[in-house]
Amino acid sequence: MNYDTVIIGAGLAGLTTACHLAQAKQKVALMSTGIGSLVLASGCIDVLGFQPAASQQPVINPAKQLGAFLTEQPEHPYHHLGQAKIEASLGAFLELVEGYEGSFDKNWLLPSTAGAVHPTCLAPKALAQGELSQGGSMLIVGFKELRDFYPSLISHNLNAQNLGVQSEAITIDAPPPLRERMNITPIELAHAFEQAEFRQQIVTEIRDKVKNCNRVGFPAVLGLQQHATVLADLERQLGRTVFEISTLPPSVPGRRLFEQLRHYFLQHGGRLTIGSKVVDGTIESGRVSQIRIETASRLQAIKAQNYILATGSIFGGGLQTDNEGRVWEAVFNLPIEHETNRHAWFDKGFLAPQGQPVARYGVQVNDRFNPVNSQTEPLATNLHAVGGLLANSVWTQGRTGDGVAVATAWRVRELLG
Amino acid sequence: MKKSTEILIIGGGATGCGVLFDLAQRGFKCILVERGALSMGTSGRFHGLLHSGGRYAVNDFDAAVECIEENNILRKVIPHCIEDTGGLFVSVPGDPLDFTDKFYFGCKQAGIPVEEIAIAEALRREPLLNPGITRAFTVPDGSVETWEACRTLTESAAEFGAETLVYHEIVDILKSQGKVTGAVAKNTVTGETVTIEADMVVSAAGAWGGQIAHMAGCEVTVYAGKGTMIAMNYRMVNTVVNRCIHPHDGDIIVPIGSVAVIGTTSVKVSDPDNYAIEDWEIKLMLDEGEKLIPTFKKFRALRAWAGVRPLYQDKSAGSDLRDVTRKYTLLDHNSRDGVDGFVTITGGKWTTYRLMAEHTADLVCKKLNVTRPGKTATTVLKNPHKDFAGQYFTLGQRLEKLEKGELSGQLICECEIVTRPQIEHHLAHNDWNIINDLRRDLRLGMGPCQGGFCTYRAAGIMHQHKQLSATQTNKALVDFLQALVDFLQERWKGMSTVLWGQHLRQMQLDEGIYVGLLGLDKLPTELSGTNQPRLGEIETEGYYEIGH
Ligand SMILES: Cc1cc2nc3c(=O)[nH]c(=O)nc-3n(C[C@H](O)[C@H](O)[C@H](O)COP(=O)(O)OP(=O)(O)OC[C@H]3O[C@@H](n4cnc5c(N)ncnc54)[C@H](O)[C@@H]3O)c2cc1C
Ligand SMILES: Cc1cc2nc3c(=O)[nH]c(=O)nc-3n(C[C@H](O)[C@H](O)[C@H](O)COP(=O)(O)OP(=O)(O)OC[C@H]3O[C@@H](n4cnc5c(N)ncnc54)[C@H](O)[C@@H]3O)c2cc1C
Repeated sequence: MNYDTVIIGAGLAGLTTACHLAQAKQKVALMSTGIGSLVLASGCIDVLGFQPAASQQPVINPAKQLGAFLTEQPEHPYHHLGQAKIEASLGAFLELVEGYEGSFDKNWLLPSTAGAVHPTCLAPKALAQGELSQGGSMLIVGFKELRDFYPSLISHNLNAQNLGVQSEAITIDAPPPLRERMNITPIELAHAFEQAEFRQQIVTEIRDKVKNCNRVGFPAVLGLQQHATVLADLERQLGRTVFEISTLPPSVPGRRLFEQLRHYFLQHGGRLTIGSKVVDGTIESGRVSQIRIETASRLQAIKAQNYILATGSIFGGGLQTDNEGRVWEAVFNLPIEHETNRHAWFDKGFLAPQGQPVARYGVQVNDRFNPVNSQTEPLATNLHAVGGLLANSVWTQGRTGDGVAVATAWRVRELLG
Repeated sequence: MKKSTEILIIGGGATGCGVLFDLAQRGFKCILVERGALSMGTSGRFHGLLHSGGRYAVNDFDAAVECIEENNILRKVIPHCIEDTGGLFVSVPGDPLDFTDKFYFGCKQAGIPVEEIAIAEALRREPLLNPGITRAFTVPDGSVETWEACRTLTESAAEFGAETLVYHEIVDILKSQGKVTGAVAKNTVTGETVTIEADMVVSAAGAWGGQIAHMAGCEVTVYAGKGTMIAMNYRMVNTVVNRCIHPHDGDIIVPIGSVAVIGTTSVKVSDPDNYAIEDWEIKLMLDEGEKLIPTFKKFRALRAWAGVRPLYQDKSAGSDLRDVTRKYTLLDHNSRDGVDGFVTITGGKWTTYRLMAEHTADLVCKKLNVTRPGKTATTVLKNPHKDFAGQYFTLGQRLEKLEKGELSGQLICECEIVTRPQIEHHLAHNDWNIINDLRRDLRLGMGPCQGGFCTYRAAGIMHQHKQLSATQTNKALVDFLQALVDFLQERWKGMSTVLWGQHLRQMQLDEGIYVGLLGLDKLPTELSGTNQPRLGEIETEGYYEIGH
């Protein structure tokens, strides 16, 4: 089988690229070992949350602050894109998914899992309704059986920051069948929320408490496939705006986003293989000629006109590291500039304001996102790298990880479509 | 604040806790003062091995005899703090064979029950062992739970009326007419000072013994001999495995909880509070580990930490610290320095803490001119878990207790099986908001995932339990957040020395959680790395900066 494009990696970057190219009528295959950080992270699209990156003040208008950010971070992948392309990519992303809200010129300011302010550009409606600048009072509801969400901690932090919202916390027992189950996951709760009776009992339990507040916040577990129905039903029954707050992984909003993108891709004729690892690729006279995937019995070669490398950074598996201080790109062994002294990979502080040096490592590209050598010459003109794999895409710096994934995905679609 | 007592003991390691119990049992009124949590010094940063004495059988005969005698006693008096893992001494190809005979006869002579077993039998017991081993011997090594032991000792002492002050640092020793009359302690949480008057002061401050003696105007040289250890993510052996060679770096693997720990190195450092774990130490131990277990490097290194051996020397120590005796030192400062009312006990081993305590208490009695014989060799200490009275600790007990319903409930730390009721029980009995105490008490966050999820959970439970939001003071909140940041930072120190491959991926997930999802770096705390963490959060395992 010959493809127009083969994409390696089903994280946010790979999936978004896959959807765009499939929409452009290409014959696309997406091969991935796993499903990336999408299903662990918040489910929102952060494009630029803090500038300067170490600042504690959230960015209100990312479009306006982008210039200053680029000056501050002279090597950031956003330099290959610029304002207009990032903006266009967000519009294009909104075409792929349902229920996301937002734009490049305004960040949502949402409560984080600890009650910090999480500035983000695009958010699913249920999370966006937690917008803090709206003020008013909110009740935050948690469940004893859910270990990964602590309403009193969230509420205390929100109140202490004088954000203009007053919040109150309540922790209740999950109704049957989850009651007495001691260790439930967000996904299990999300399934339970899809049952009308389950919701009914929660509504009954908190109805009195809800009277004194404008909004009601839940952990992000308000249904999976039936999410829109669950949300609407709760709002109707409680007579209040209802919103979600992220939990620890696994992330239900992340899972919903993954399912939406996957569905879109398949609907548009894409071929998705999850669970197969791309072990290597061949570059001959400036072009990739094939990649090989691991199957049960042998290595199978796959050929295409173009190849997209979306394997993420160290966490995703795109970069590998070892005890000897080696850092290498996993598929093509592309050159990765790095220190061989492992200690130079890390800062003294876990929460270092400038991020961990190791997070800077990655694939250097030109403006067409072709990987380049140290003389900035493209190594293969039909190979493009996107997302977290790119050099200097340190997502903790200003919270730009999702923006890099979404914007590079769109840029590659422009180049190939 | 003022307090008065008969004997003041400085240092809450195994030795100090042992001295406290011994003296209290002999009828003295005692107070123990520890600057951090119990067992936060060397006693919490050691290798966890209850020595059989085998290690010293060739080079240090007296130490070998002491170890086996104490090993036998401790198995009777604190069985619940000991896991009876047994020990193996094995020769790997290339190890000098003449040593093994010396080892065998040395053990016999010292009274250590040693037995040579067939290679096949050794491999049956420990299937991951190097199949090329040429000889194998069994000895009664074990592993010890230091936090449980120190807790048991101080609680048993309390039944005799003794008092234990943790998070109090001795900042001055009081003297009058050449005699020590007490000391001043500073509460390291509140900053308050407490003056404690005492008839006699016992310094059991280990590697810090020189500093305490200096406050009393005595010059005592205690060198700090740093040793580094690495915890691997899998309990790859169930027996303590020793190389049968002259004591050496990285020649012992001890199974502890759900992990296995390899150690140690031995390097002289000038400051017991500030030393680095160096890359060569990590490399060397992983290489040495492979000699014992050929697949060693396939497992993940979880964290590295170091402790400092208190090494007393009259003259300047040479650079090879293994020559300095591991036996202990008991100093009567009246005969030595003309300062009365002051005694220093330092050096030794965890395994010999009881003996050291007994000799110290004997000296105290002699100086006070009273005859009160010690009874600690025959007093079985209370196991807080009645169902297991008289039994050794086993990994299965934790699960068994939970299955019987004791503090069972929501699982907060999956790796080490820590439940929400256990955490709430701990919080109900401790005033401090120190997350690291949960780790010391319950082993929270000590397993393969290194606290990625359970740190947030424990913090959330602590916040709820202490009803911090009810107080609504921002200071309480900031303090609490700082404790969380400091805890994570201290974990980071232990982890960052051994981060590569899969473990580095795990770290990036933790970063995703604490930075991406929680936004902890955007809450009002001092971002760690530069400031000194609160003492309680200082990592017991996981000292310190990476060497460059
Ligand atoms: C818990 C968490 C919280 C986060 N929070 C934030 C945040 O608040 N703000 C922010 O901006 N960013 C955040 N991030 C980072 C952000 O999610 C990433 O920067 C972004 O999603 C990267 O996407 P990606 O598609 O490039 O890589 P990934 O999501 O890592 O995906 C890589 C994919 O490639 C696959 N793969 C790897 N190697 C191979 C191979 N050899 N063959 C086949 N497939 C392969 C993997 O299985 C995976 O599917 C967070 C990340 C995590 C984990
Ligand atoms: C790397 C390493 C591995 C080891 N492995 C083993 C082993 O496997 N088996 C074994 O038997 N032994 C082992 N040892 C030896 C053993 O750990 C020590 O000998 C023993 O723990 C010392 O106990 P201690 O109570 O005397 O000292 P410590 O445990 O150091 O106690 C001294 C206490 O004094 C406190 N203190 C200091 N200054 C002050 C002050 N101003 N005010 C109040 N308190 C103060 C400290 O905080 C500390 O808690 C090892 C040692 C090292 C370094």
